[in-house]
Amino acid sequence: MSETTREPDARRLATVARDRVRFEEDALALSDQVYRVARHLVGSREEADDLVQETYARAFRSWRSFRPGTNLRAWLLRILTNLNIDRGRRIQRQPESRPLEEGDYFLYNKLEESGDRTIDEDRVVERLSQNDVVNALSEVPHDFRDVIVLVDIGDFTYADAAQILDIPIGTVMSRLHRGRRILKQAMAESAVGSES
Amino acid sequence: MCNCDECEQWMQPYMDRVLTDAERAEAEEHLDRCTYCRKRYRFEEHVRQFVRQAVEVEPMPAELKHKLAALRTPLQ
Repeated sequence: MSETTREPDARRLATVARDRVRFEEDALALSDQVYRVARHLVGSREEADDLVQETYARAFRSWRSFRPGTNLRAWLLRILTNLNIDRGRRIQRQPESRPLEEGDYFLYNKLEESGDRTIDEDRVVERLSQNDVVNALSEVPHDFRDVIVLVDIGDFTYADAAQILDIPIGTVMSRLHRGRRILKQAMAESAVGSES
Repeated sequence: MCNCDECEQWMQPYMDRVLTDAERAEAEEHLDRCTYCRKRYRFEEHVRQFVRQAVEVEPMPAELKHKLAALRTPLQ
């Protein structure tokens, strides 16, 4: 092989190596955010650790399939949610059928009923505890919880969540709508009780 | 101009900033004049913020960060 043939090859390889290093650095810079979402999608810290490691191992192997200029965070989370399904940590299924959940204002109304009826909307959340929220979120069925985790906790747009979960954007919106209602209903029951 | 039922339906999309300009203007006009809905809107905002804070998890362990960094392709 002549010098003139080897030189473009070397340049090409250097470019590929540089692109890969850049990709890996960009991906690692997002690891805190990926970990945060993983912690809410799986039950324990150990599971989240494993899942994030698997996600990065796969991402680094398939880095060429990432299109520069698109959303790397969403791309990584797509890998993570697929792995989560593949590993059988959850069974992908149709959303569980539940009785029609209460309305959007259920939590407000429930807290108002339980209090002195002079509800101060700026302070009423103080009647809720961190445990009320954590327990309530764990009661939300997976399909609804995944969307809440991505949009309300992970700050993903509807479109990103649709891409990550591989569902239509309309499904993201409807699951978010129902999921928030289910969450608030569970928070109300945790904070006030289910009687009355 | 929307009524309280429509305002309730629009509340979450309003907070998600996905309403059209016209819908948002209608919702804001209603919230300006309706104490019932305005109270609930402020409450919903506080709840969202509270949920985010309540479920905040510990930062990623340093050990895991090191493990992820070790997955990188070795430089030739």
